Amino acid sequence: MHRDSVLTPMTSSIILHIEDKANYFGLVLKTKSEGLLLGRPEGASSGQQASGSGGPGAKPILLREACDLCDGRPKCASICPTQCITAVD
Amino acid sequence: MNMRNGKIGIIDLSTGVSSEEDFVGDVLTAGVLRALLAKHGPDSIVLGTGLLTGSLIPASCAGTLTAGQKTMPLLGHAGIELKLSGFDFLVLKGKAPNWGYVWTRDGIVELVELRESPQLNSWQRTDKIRADQGDSKIQVVSGGPWCDAGSPAAQLVVDHWGGEDKVGMGAEFGKRNLAAVAFRGMGELEIADPEAHFEGSVALMKGHLSRLGPNKGLQSYYEGAGREDFVSLVHRYIGCYGCPFPCRTYLKTEEDPKEMRFMHKEPGYLHYDVPALEMATQVGLSSRDATRVLTRCAQAGAEPVAVLTAAAVGGGRPDVASIESLLSRRADVKPVNKGNFESSLPSLKDYETCLGLGLCPRYWAKVGFDIRSLSSCAESAIGHTLQ
Repeated sequence: MHRDSVLTPMTSSIILHIEDKANYFGLVLKTKSEGLLLGRPEGASSGQQASGSGGPGAKPILLREACDLCDGRPKCASICPTQCITAVD
Repeated sequence: MNMRNGKIGIIDLSTGVSSEEDFVGDVLTAGVLRALLAKHGPDSIVLGTGLLTGSLIPASCAGTLTAGQKTMPLLGHAGIELKLSGFDFLVLKGKAPNWGYVWTRDGIVELVELRESPQLNSWQRTDKIRADQGDSKIQVVSGGPWCDAGSPAAQLVVDHWGGEDKVGMGAEFGKRNLAAVAFRGMGELEIADPEAHFEGSVALMKGHLSRLGPNKGLQSYYEGAGREDFVSLVHRYIGCYGCPFPCRTYLKTEEDPKEMRFMHKEPGYLHYDVPALEMATQVGLSSRDATRVLTRCAQAGAEPVAVLTAAAVGGGRPDVASIESLLSRRADVKPVNKGNFESSLPSLKDYETCLGLGLCPRYWAKVGFDIRSLSSCAESAIGHTLQ
């Protein structure tokens, strides 16, 4: 949102990774330094294996911009209702 | 225009010809629906999005589907997906010569033939449309055999699940040879003051959550979902777009609910139809059997309160088998006027205003719907006052 002043499901750098058949729900974060970070119940992993995307109108995360932490105040963590996403130093 | 696409999509089902009109007024939806019906004919069907649908305001997920005097909400991800498809409203005119579905994506609206539709139930239609168009996230509002037959006790389902259509909208699809409406989009919505809107929405949400406490899915809205035999089948809670306090609880009846993955083809059902569950309890069904009955009703495109009411006629205690048998006898089932989301708010005016804004009536009834409480947050999105 902060990049273009529009609401769109296409530019978020963090998306849900819902893969019922693979037995997990997780999050995928596109980072500048480590590529894709995949957070799953069994732990975090990095690499390019997670190309799934979630939410309305979403596009694959590989096509998105990497996370810039919203200039130090990550909006995904602020708006997460369950505190599933938190920002740590 | 902030929070709007500025476009109305129009398709004549009788010819398949589509067109579009500019939409210039970002007023509340109810007035627009009436104007569109007046302009394009009272027999038209109008799908609409709310002024704030797709904003960051909590539970701003709602769209609407209107025919004549009847309106049903479109919840889940259907409302926002319609907006992201590039249209604020869709007008469906006339009757298709053959069975088909309206397919809307990225500023395009077309009629796609689906001649095999009468042989498919609502779930099969949804799955086929997603498979044929190659995208599992397409939002599908689908009818079933009861809708095709024009039963007044029919219901449309939204992405497999029932609970929005308590007004007999399914029959309106059937009368027009309309099997389903599907949409998908990757649009974007301009907002007046992104930072203020974000901060205001987060503050609004956090204020709500601090008052509401922990969420227990449908149980947070309906005590009956706290029954032991219901809770024992819970697989997960699912929120609509932007909802921080979901009312949707998925029960698994055909496999272990503690198993995260789905292995059975039809492992369970997503519950948010409160009057249907109340009626199921009233006729003596267990939560497992109620889930199976609601699944069969959704597939058939049959409104479950009406089906369960008919099943209980005579004072007997219906079971899944007898209700399945009843689903093949549409004429024995009369519509029952019992709203689901319609009964969330005490006044019809508030309900219509809520939908006109694109907000879920159930969530906003829970937190206390007061337009003043969200006006500054809304105004930061649209750039002017709400009234």
